[in-house]
Amino acid sequence: MKLGILCSRIRLEEKLIFQALRQQGVGYDRLDERHLELPLQANSLVDHYDVIWCRSISHTRALYALNILNSWGIKMVNSYAVVQTCGDKVLTTMALVRHGVPTPRTVVALGVEAALQTIEEMGYPVVLKPAMGSWGRLLSKVNDRETAEAVLMHKASLGGPVHSVFYIQEYVDKPGRDIRTMVIGDEVVYAMYRRSDHWITNTARGGEALPCPITPDIRELSLAAALAVGGGILAIDLMETADGRLLVNEVNHTPEFHGAMQAVDMDIAGKMAEYVLAQV
Amino acid sequence: MGRVSMRVGVLCSRVRVEEKLIFKALRDRGVDGERVDANTITLGLSGILVGYNVILVRCLSHSRALYASKLLGDNGQRTVNDHEVIATCGDKLLTSLALAQHGVPTPRTKVAFTPRAALEAIEQMGYPVVLKPLNGSWGRLLAKINDRDAAETILEHKHTLGGHRHSIFYIQEYIEKPGRDIRSFVVGDKVIAAIYRHAQHWITNTARGGEASACPITSEVERISRAAAEAVGGGVLAVDILEAPDGRLLVSEVNHTPEFRNSIAPTGVDIADRIVDRALEVADMKPGR
Repeated sequence: MKLGILCSRIRLEEKLIFQALRQQGVGYDRLDERHLELPLQANSLVDHYDVIWCRSISHTRALYALNILNSWGIKMVNSYAVVQTCGDKVLTTMALVRHGVPTPRTVVALGVEAALQTIEEMGYPVVLKPAMGSWGRLLSKVNDRETAEAVLMHKASLGGPVHSVFYIQEYVDKPGRDIRTMVIGDEVVYAMYRRSDHWITNTARGGEALPCPITPDIRELSLAAALAVGGGILAIDLMETADGRLLVNEVNHTPEFHGAMQAVDMDIAGKMAEYVLAQV
Repeated sequence: MGRVSMRVGVLCSRVRVEEKLIFKALRDRGVDGERVDANTITLGLSGILVGYNVILVRCLSHSRALYASKLLGDNGQRTVNDHEVIATCGDKLLTSLALAQHGVPTPRTKVAFTPRAALEAIEQMGYPVVLKPLNGSWGRLLAKINDRDAAETILEHKHTLGGHRHSIFYIQEYIEKPGRDIRSFVVGDKVIAAIYRHAQHWITNTARGGEASACPITSEVERISRAAAEAVGGGVLAVDILEAPDGRLLVSEVNHTPEFRNSIAPTGVDIADRIVDRALEVADMKPGR
């Protein structure tokens, strides 16, 4: 049994994962994707690894590495298809909608004029998100037309593929918190509240992690969201609407969990490792 | 006129309506005007554009205007405008500073160097505020910030855009305009024309759909326009003036290479001809003026 862990920067999460593997007596190689050679004509790793666990901090690098590894037939956690879907908010929302998972109303526009019209039709406030990106970066809560104009102009100036696709979503007025659950395989292993006075609740931006009971609704919706994007090790962001519904906001394919450790008494890395090893 | 040998070079790349009008005005005067294509020239560190009595700088690109005027001016070639004026007017911070230093009324302005400090400055100033890139024309990337949510996201976008233009945060109080602002044209020490720019939108640039109509050159408009032009060094300038709700006039910007196509009909002033006047006057100036 040979395990490769694809990663570049080693965060607390990766340290905990390495530690969990050592405790389970499992050997592993650290594969820094920045140093890999990935020949397209012939595979260079297939004989060496039974499974590759992707913990790369760079979505773009992960996406390309996994695509190539996938073409060689190596087993991966998460799969290339899952990383592709979860790394792009448009694809995530499409997958959720296709599987009937409740999610905020979302419209995609491909030009500034169309985006402005969409926003005006949707009504304020709305949220604009880059199709790719983490930690709540470059999210915009747009409360009026003047903000919409300024944000759209700045996004157009930023340019590039990420900022030329306008992902426009109704703003859900959350009760000062959202819910993050961790799905591993077909199990919801924990749920936590992320409490914040800011509308962006990411713990990376100061959101506070608090314990949250895994209610039947939360379990069902989390599993449905995980299934919709293809399953694996996934963190699901849920929002509670004012009228008591739950909506799935995002699904994260390489979740951080050091924030959760304040709220959850559980060997998260160990649970993840068990799942990865069971894939072989 | 004794100007048989007078030659005016017009430094530009794209020839807009304005440059065509300038060439026509030169021809009408019997002055030899020639386009100097900024896309093809090269300039030595100690050279000039040989054969011209004066260079009228009409580059669309501020950077080109800035460096061309520096190289030419330092080597003794006369330019309209001169480098110092272009340098000041091409940078909104330097413009505001020059205006403030000369006692010209201008909206309250603050500068911050990080998004965090900028957010604090905005919160202290109170909403709405306006954020402007340090350079840029036609109202591009101006942001009216009405609340903290907007401030946070625009600052983050500016920080991501980066570069000189976006990493110095220029923060200005928002002046509630009466659906218009005033643009006056100053040539030398004369206010030659003024227009209102009417717009539903808070950005009134005619390039963005603002409608031009004649504005009377009142003594207040004349005084503040001349003061603003003098503050930045004088030349051929367009001064943007805001009418505050309490009736004060405030100078928001001074433009060193003004477009003027939409200002001719409402004012009846041959602006191109006045610009040519100025160019010939500078060409005729005694050395070491």
